[in-house]
Amino acid sequence: MVSDPHEAPAALAGRRVLEIADEQGAYCGKLFADMGADVVKIERPGGDASRLVPPFWGDEPHPERSLPFLYANTSKRGVTLDLEQASGREIFRRLAARADVVIETLPPRTLDALGLGWDDLHALRPELVLTSITGFGQSGPRAGWRSSDLVANALGGAAMVTGYAEDPPVRLAGSHAHVMASTNAAAATMIALHHAARTGAGQHVDISIQETMVAVTHICGVGKWLDDGIVPRRAGTGLFASVPSGAYRCRDGLAYLMINRPAHWRALAEWVHEETGNEAILSPLFEGPSSQRLEERELLDVWIEDLTSRHTVREVVQQGQRRHLAFTAVQSAEEVIRDPQLAARGFFVEVGTEGADGVRLPGAPYRHARTPWRIRRPAPRVGEHDVEIYCGELGIGEDELDRLRAEGAI
Amino acid sequence: MQPGALADLRVLELTAGMAGPWIGRFMAWCGAEVIKVESKTRPDVTRQYVPPWAPERGIEPQLSPWFTDWNAGKRFVALDLKHPEAVALAKRLVARCDVVVENYAPGVLEKLGLGWEELARVKHDLVLLSTSGFGDSGPYRSHVTWGPNIEAVSGLATTSGFAERPCTMTHYAYPDSLSALHGLFAVMCALDHRSRTGEGQRIDLSQLEATIAVYGEALVEPLVRGRAVERLGNRSRHAAPHGCYSCAGEDRWCAISVFDDEAWRRLCRVAEHPEWIEEPRFATLDARLANVAELDRRIESWTREHDAFELMESLQAAGVAAGVVQTTEDQYRRDPQLAARDFFEEIEHRVKGTVVATGIPLGLRGTPGRTPHAGSAVGEDNDYVFGEILSLTSDERRRLTESGAIEPRDEPRR
Repeated sequence: MVSDPHEAPAALAGRRVLEIADEQGAYCGKLFADMGADVVKIERPGGDASRLVPPFWGDEPHPERSLPFLYANTSKRGVTLDLEQASGREIFRRLAARADVVIETLPPRTLDALGLGWDDLHALRPELVLTSITGFGQSGPRAGWRSSDLVANALGGAAMVTGYAEDPPVRLAGSHAHVMASTNAAAATMIALHHAARTGAGQHVDISIQETMVAVTHICGVGKWLDDGIVPRRAGTGLFASVPSGAYRCRDGLAYLMINRPAHWRALAEWVHEETGNEAILSPLFEGPSSQRLEERELLDVWIEDLTSRHTVREVVQQGQRRHLAFTAVQSAEEVIRDPQLAARGFFVEVGTEGADGVRLPGAPYRHARTPWRIRRPAPRVGEHDVEIYCGELGIGEDELDRLRAEGAI
Repeated sequence: MQPGALADLRVLELTAGMAGPWIGRFMAWCGAEVIKVESKTRPDVTRQYVPPWAPERGIEPQLSPWFTDWNAGKRFVALDLKHPEAVALAKRLVARCDVVVENYAPGVLEKLGLGWEELARVKHDLVLLSTSGFGDSGPYRSHVTWGPNIEAVSGLATTSGFAERPCTMTHYAYPDSLSALHGLFAVMCALDHRSRTGEGQRIDLSQLEATIAVYGEALVEPLVRGRAVERLGNRSRHAAPHGCYSCAGEDRWCAISVFDDEAWRRLCRVAEHPEWIEEPRFATLDARLANVAELDRRIESWTREHDAFELMESLQAAGVAAGVVQTTEDQYRRDPQLAARDFFEEIEHRVKGTVVATGIPLGLRGTPGRTPHAGSAVGEDNDYVFGEILSLTSDERRRLTESGAIEPRDEPRR
């Protein structure tokens, strides 16, 4: 990779990652690549099927214009390789022998059947970390089941507690089960690398997308239920543990409020009283933790909306925050794109892409003072780095490259 | 038992809630020694739990299931950080730590005399993660927020859900958990850099920015085209049928995802309606997408008559992606996959005996973690931390307790 000596250092400079991942694991590789690891995405000849996920830049289906693909594969290099062929597997072994991490999302035992499973890779390079991301994990009676982002949201418990009681369960916009499993996998992989650096021993990281979602939704999980016997279900916009909480109507939209501390309740009750003349809200019966207000939740919501509906969203947020109340705007996507906070921090970044002059993408999820997150290059085109990596780094001659191409191995 | 993967690390936490504490929970599970600082006047908000089965008992600061979920396995000290000697003690602890995780409001650490400059002076290669709603700069820096606020302000709530709804929200404070997972990765990256260069650094995590990154694929279209996101509910632009379909029983649903025509034909056979295969309006993915409302009605006319679990089993047996929309109870009582993988963790609890907690999903096969204990009081480990780690004599500890810098352990009621 080209490096500029004036550039800030990268946290993962020198780390080498191989990725054989569809949309279940592409975000994992992105997290590594945007922090400076050299992530090489290995695709089957012709390109991965995830390149055909809509919507497309310019609306036309094209393997280099899928917007979700362009987002989830930034900063990576890309090669094509057919692991079904012996010559393809041999090249993979040569790449793995120089790698710190292999990320893969193939069905369990697929790599084993190719002679490239955990035992093979561990023998080849003992400190290597192999990270597998699959719907249900590598073991157990459902290891071979089919998954999808929606199925993982269902079995993982998210869908049951998203949206409104009178609607069907629903998932969020995006691919949250895949993205969460990828983030969990990235953290687990870094932990395994930390251990490997100290002991020399790599390990197999076995990520189950379902388990990740059970963990991500655990505020509605087993600990609470075993304690109180209440099975959480969909309940609109308010959080069950915090009273009041939810989206409240204002003159021109919605503002979200959440009260979590006794002092915040008092400040809210005083504000409602000041503006609406409501005396009852000041009752000491409502003071204390949220549980004190649980039974009167709906009544309190009416009283609070009596206040918020007199103001614009902006006024509610500004005046509420001045009183240290957690009021925020419920924003549309267009408002987010113009959001002054994000603008002040320069969040959205422009990435040059072949055939498209600059795609704006969401930026850094965290800001490291010394080793900043940075998109180093746009998502690779199909086989973009075949020559650079196979010839430049593995020393494969041009004749051999032609032969491999003719065989369809790359 | 393998020593944990992070057994060489010590972490100091100045945290409350979930987005900060969940990071330390993972690290403690991996064997790191995690010390959490609280005070009696401002204990972690998740301790303010009143058992709904016995509200007359009032707040039960050690019994909260959420306190277990986000803090089990840590050490707990009680310091009054408004007291200069407590600040000095906190700095001495930082000098013995590799990582500090904090989620106070931006600026609070500086006001306490524990800002980055101060901490870096006592520990030159420290990694400090600060996590807050809006990040450590910008006009909304000091705004008060909780996880659900960020779902609302990030646009996630208005781009998600069914088209007729004004906004759709989770009941699991999603920005908290997604920020914690990103924060854990961010800390491990900084430690990787430290191991190569000897340099520490601070990390500023804005939960708003992490949340937008997480649903970024759905925001790319409005970013590129300046047009609104079409709210799809459970539908997909490249799969049909794709939804949560009503099944027999109350609030019972089965999620089904059909990405190609072969899976469609398999579904028709499982449904015992092979004649559906012949219908041109459903024969190809494009045709199914064009007639999706009718398709969904058709699927539901079948699923409605069946048990969700039986549907899932028969569809999966035929190779079709399907899954019951599970409750917590389903996951714990009737999910053979989670059971076979020992996902839920039984933890020794200092007051309750044992508790069951959601597992830590890191999947580290070579160094499986564990949670040694749950149910600690504020200041539970004062003696260990100040005595063993800082080597303060019992006389010094007594003096600091009398001066109010160290707060005594909060005695449990029972």
